[in-house]
Amino acid sequence: MPRMVTITVDGARILTPEGSNVLEAALEAGICIPNLCHVPGVTPLGACRVCVVEIIENGRRRLTASCTLEARDGMVIEAHSENVMRARRNIVELLLAEAPNSRAIQDLAARVGVTECRYPMRNNTCVLCGRCVRVCDEIWQSKSLGLVGRGPSRRVALPFDVRPDLCKRCNNCIQVCPMTITPCPGPLTEPAICARCESQTSMVENIPDTCVMCELGRGFQCARWQLKGLDARA
Amino acid sequence: MDAKQLDPILNNRGSEPYEIMEVLQDIQDLYGFLPEPALRAASASLGVPLIEVFRLANFYKAFSLKPRGRHLLTVCNGTACHVKGAPRLLDELMARLNIAPGETTADEAFTLETVNCLGACALGPVIVVDGVYYEHMDPSKLDGLLETVRSRDRELVPHA
Ligand code: SF4
Ligand code: SF4
Ligand code: FES
Ligand code: FES
Repeated sequence: MPRMVTITVDGARILTPEGSNVLEAALEAGICIPNLCHVPGVTPLGACRVCVVEIIENGRRRLTASCTLEARDGMVIEAHSENVMRARRNIVELLLAEAPNSRAIQDLAARVGVTECRYPMRNNTCVLCGRCVRVCDEIWQSKSLGLVGRGPSRRVALPFDVRPDLCKRCNNCIQVCPMTITPCPGPLTEPAICARCESQTSMVENIPDTCVMCELGRGFQCARWQLKGLDARA
Repeated sequence: MDAKQLDPILNNRGSEPYEIMEVLQDIQDLYGFLPEPALRAASASLGVPLIEVFRLANFYKAFSLKPRGRHLLTVCNGTACHVKGAPRLLDELMARLNIAPGETTADEAFTLETVNCLGACALGPVIVVDGVYYEHMDPSKLDGLLETVRSRDRELVPHA
């Protein structure tokens, strides 16, 4: 039995095993912290910053990603303060501008209440979440893929851009990729916010802080669905 | 690429994965760039996954995956050099050599690159040729500079 620690998330006291991360602890307890790059059971990377929360220490508040935040006894977390919501919307807005062609990103935007996108839409094919790379490396022990290059030239690549012998052709890299879920009523003719899931978006105003196992989360492969052992794919 | 030349590097450097950086540096020195077969050999010999070798080769500016020319021209385009006219110098060099930054001339004599500040801003604009700094450059000095390098190149490769 691992030692248990108690943390407080949005006022709720949560008992969680020592060493677990705040994102998983909150999701297990039914608190919704939207997330994208995290895959349970795989080393958190903190690449997307969608899971941003506020940690309150000695009366000071600081924004940080919750997936890479290790739960410590007595930790106080705010996951839905004004500050957090604003930061999260902005982060998702940036993601949306990168990849409006992904259903996962569109769903995420709907869940956090992004209704406008102030950045130019780019229609990229990858948001550099690193899910594929970590799953290949850690679950399949394959190390076939990597994040290569720096800054704007960073990309997911195979060594010398050819499929290495190490690759097991498990296709898991594609399954966990948020870009492989196309928007529902067919691709948008031009990049825009789709926001067609009105039945779902009402939850943004009404229940932003409770995980309701929403269909949106299933779409964007939210870690909660995976923690529950359910098929994360829509 | 002569694969025999690779053996001493791989043998001398031992076989520990953490020695990969030294091995890559030696390979870069030997061939002037990192040839794919050499990286595959290094990966197998040191037990470092090929993707990690590829990542390192892509990460550091000191490494190149493409063959480089015998002479490396680096134009500083950092803030200070930029305002002192580096873009003009770069344009002139690109026109004279008929290549873009990162490329190598067809005769493999020159590779052109840019860098963002060399820490010698007071000397700007700076061009580095084969490790030697040329300070306060202006377009009128370029022909002379290129001719010096070309004559040195003729000694290096008499038939060229
Ligand atoms: S298909 Fe190949 S590259 Fe993709 S996760 Fe599996 S082993 Fe890795
Ligand atoms: S290819 Fe897909 S899973 Fe991999 S980093 Fe890009 S968006 Fe993420
Ligand atoms: S940074 Fe935490 S889920 Fe992406
Ligand atoms: S900007 Fe060129 S040396 Fe600093």
